[in-house]
Amino acid sequence: MTRRSKRFDAPLPVLEPAEQYAGQVLDARLHLLDRQVLDRDGVPVQVVDDLELSDVPFGESIPSETPAPVIESILSGPVLGTRIFGGRPPSSRFHRVSWDRIAEIGIAIHLGVAGSTLDVTWVERWVRDRIISRIPGGHHDPE
Amino acid sequence: MILSDVLRSRVLDDEGRSVGIVIDARFVLDGVPHGPLADARLVGFIVSPHTGSSFLGYERHDDGRPALIARVLRWHHRGSFLVHWEDIARLDETRVILRPGYRRISPALLGAQRR
Repeated sequence: MTRRSKRFDAPLPVLEPAEQYAGQVLDARLHLLDRQVLDRDGVPVQVVDDLELSDVPFGESIPSETPAPVIESILSGPVLGTRIFGGRPPSSRFHRVSWDRIAEIGIAIHLGVAGSTLDVTWVERWVRDRIISRIPGGHHDPE
Repeated sequence: MILSDVLRSRVLDDEGRSVGIVIDARFVLDGVPHGPLADARLVGFIVSPHTGSSFLGYERHDDGRPALIARVLRWHHRGSFLVHWEDIARLDETRVILRPGYRRISPALLGAQRR
């Protein structure tokens, strides 16, 4: 037996045909993760680093009638290091945007709210209010 | 549950044999409407027998350009399949265990499902 067949030693049956769904289909890595998120004015506010799903039994058997989880929030956080070295940041380090604030999913993800109302933009607001505004001319657009 | 806890997990059948690695999760917007969009319900996981990577999804559509990249990536993900949520018996930090008699469904995206 070869090394590869030891790792993946289950027989490979023929696949059942692909399914047609009533709603829009989203493959997480293909259609959501790393996509740009724009607020209602088209201003970039974050990218999608991860997804939070509704609770399901984890680390224990899943009863057969357990309803499928749904996406509760899109997450943004400090994932550069964990993408290089593995793992993920602690759940508390993520900024969350609730699924019900998303207005449209296309090439980018469009929110139905202003970015200034989101926790994920607090650094930008802090820099604007505490640093930029104290620079002469920092209170108005460039002329 | 954070999705990345499941991505790249080893997938085992009910007898403990490895059948692949979770490379993606498929959702469909057909749940209860909350806000502008319906809830995104987890349909299941896409499993690749050969790799834990996922890039451009060539194994899920029939685009053939650029030809060399398409052929290489499609070959890399040969044998990939979709397994339904109903066929998941257990999730933990490093592996996903399937129920006896689980179904292997083509992961192809049909028509308007592709973007």
